[in-house]
Amino acid sequence: MANITCSSIVKSYGDYPVIDGLNLDIPDHEFVVFLGPSGCGKSTMLRMIAGLETVTGGRIEIGGTDVTDLPPGDRGVAMVFQSYALYPHMSVADNITFGLRRQGLPKAEIAPRLTQVADMLGLAPFLDRRPKNLSGGQQQRVAMARAMIKTPKVFLFDEPLSNLDAKLREKLRTEIRKMHLQLKTTTIFVTHDQLEAMTIADRIVLMRDGAIEQMGTPDEIFERPASHFVADFIGTPAMNFIDATIEPGHVARSGSIALSLSRDLFPGLRPGQKVELGLRPASMDLVEPGAPNAIAGRVVLVENMGAEGQVITEVDGREISFVTAQFRRVKPGDAVRFALRPDQIHAFDPVSGRSLLGA
Amino acid sequence: MGRIISATLTRALLALLIVVALGPILWTVLGAFKELRDIVTPVPKLIFDPTLDNFATILRNPTIRDGLLHSAVVVSVSVLIGAVLGIPAAHTLARHARRYGDDVQFFVLSLRFMPPVAIAIPFIVIYLDLGIYDTLFGLILVYLVTTISTVIWLAVPAFDRVPRDIEEAAAMEGCSPLEVFWRFSLPVAAPSLFGAIVFTFVLVWNELLLALTLAAQNATLPVVAASITSLGKEVPWGVINAATVVLVVPPLVFIGLLMGLLNTSVQGGRK
Repeated sequence: MANITCSSIVKSYGDYPVIDGLNLDIPDHEFVVFLGPSGCGKSTMLRMIAGLETVTGGRIEIGGTDVTDLPPGDRGVAMVFQSYALYPHMSVADNITFGLRRQGLPKAEIAPRLTQVADMLGLAPFLDRRPKNLSGGQQQRVAMARAMIKTPKVFLFDEPLSNLDAKLREKLRTEIRKMHLQLKTTTIFVTHDQLEAMTIADRIVLMRDGAIEQMGTPDEIFERPASHFVADFIGTPAMNFIDATIEPGHVARSGSIALSLSRDLFPGLRPGQKVELGLRPASMDLVEPGAPNAIAGRVVLVENMGAEGQVITEVDGREISFVTAQFRRVKPGDAVRFALRPDQIHAFDPVSGRSLLGA
Repeated sequence: MGRIISATLTRALLALLIVVALGPILWTVLGAFKELRDIVTPVPKLIFDPTLDNFATILRNPTIRDGLLHSAVVVSVSVLIGAVLGIPAAHTLARHARRYGDDVQFFVLSLRFMPPVAIAIPFIVIYLDLGIYDTLFGLILVYLVTTISTVIWLAVPAFDRVPRDIEEAAAMEGCSPLEVFWRFSLPVAAPSLFGAIVFTFVLVWNELLLALTLAAQNATLPVVAASITSLGKEVPWGVINAATVVLVVPPLVFIGLLMGLLNTSVQGGRK
């Protein structure tokens, strides 16, 4: 039983609040990712939950206990740092077991637990080594083992994979996910990598400027972004944004582009209203002439991504990109037509940036 | 071929530098074991009958023996207190009072700006008034200014280099700030701190001016060694050389001991 409740959290440095009245509930067993650009307050939030950063105002509860003023060691949380933070003057085994030895657990009890986590993370051959004699991936595993052996109520990961190369990052990401499926410990994982967040999270908390911009499952965040910011942050290649005006018949027009929108998703749109359309490159594909909701453009560049390719086109003097598996058919200078379904079009208020879904 | 020549030249240059650096020391050590007539011959002698007379003179001479003892007491106590007070202070400056750190660092350094001569005379007056003139306690007291400030000045960067994450990881395991300092910051910073302490030790071990002005009967070794050189026209070269060796050996022994300590403390975690 270790849900986490953060109520009205305020964090200020001097007079300047970096987090102002944040509320967050994390249910037991959930794998939550704090996602956002650097400086959005995600790491600060994590460090406050860990107890490494004082809370200016508000309350943090872990498993029903108010931990706001407890020292980090008394909160039942374990943390994995971006830099791994291994103790350089201790062997791998001593690094992993330090917390248990410090608590005065008998050796006979520590040894089997060490064997268990070391086997689980493939560290058995390295137990006598010093951290500096390990590769980055191995060091990260030691850091994870050190967190796991304490069987904490909550795991905190502070950008744990940022210092690793892409291939290893992917491998460890899977391992962390598997570990969570097995242990079911409530986990908070901080990252600025949206792909990492999408693949690993039960729920994503997308933060911006010290506030939660949107919170939801990866699908919700991807399919129904609450704002321009979320839509822009999530998804590769990035979403195309077009300023348009609503015309009678629930059609959004911008120059030569005329796209009919879903009446179910956007019932409140009125003719003459200014909107910002969001078109995901991955939702669009090449179409034959005469297809509905098509955009006509001229190819500027084709980027080969292996199985698919991103085609960047020029439409009325601005660039719009889409992704297609048939990218090998087109070349720069070609005139192409591409389209998407009305229910895949996002619309945002051009001033506030909020989504116009249901509005 | 060119590579061999350049390698040979590099080695020759290195050998020359070593001779330049170690030559005087070697000559002093040799001189310490020579009789006076072997030292003052116009043709330098490398082969001679070694004698321990010079050392005997030194160690039988109560002034020199006392000087050695005084130096050992004054320097070890002032360096020890300097380390015990200075190292935790440096950690606090590096970690918890960073915004004052630079000012304090500068203040500490500024203590070293003033030439010792300038403080020596006021100190004589103050010490006479307090009745601690010519006492080991008085010397220790004035050396503490040097040792504490030097240790702080050199130890703050040493603690700055300890990754903050390591201290935080230790705190996450339930360590109190004192435990974090003792079990993590200190061992991780130990190699740099070792340098700071050795430097401080050498600084006060060789200190002459304050020792000369603030002590008379209770003189330290540099003062005694200096006084030997003014014994008259008949300069006892052999004794001076032996005194120099005696002056140089304790810091070397001290460095050796510290290195041993460092090695065991670093290996201690391995078990």
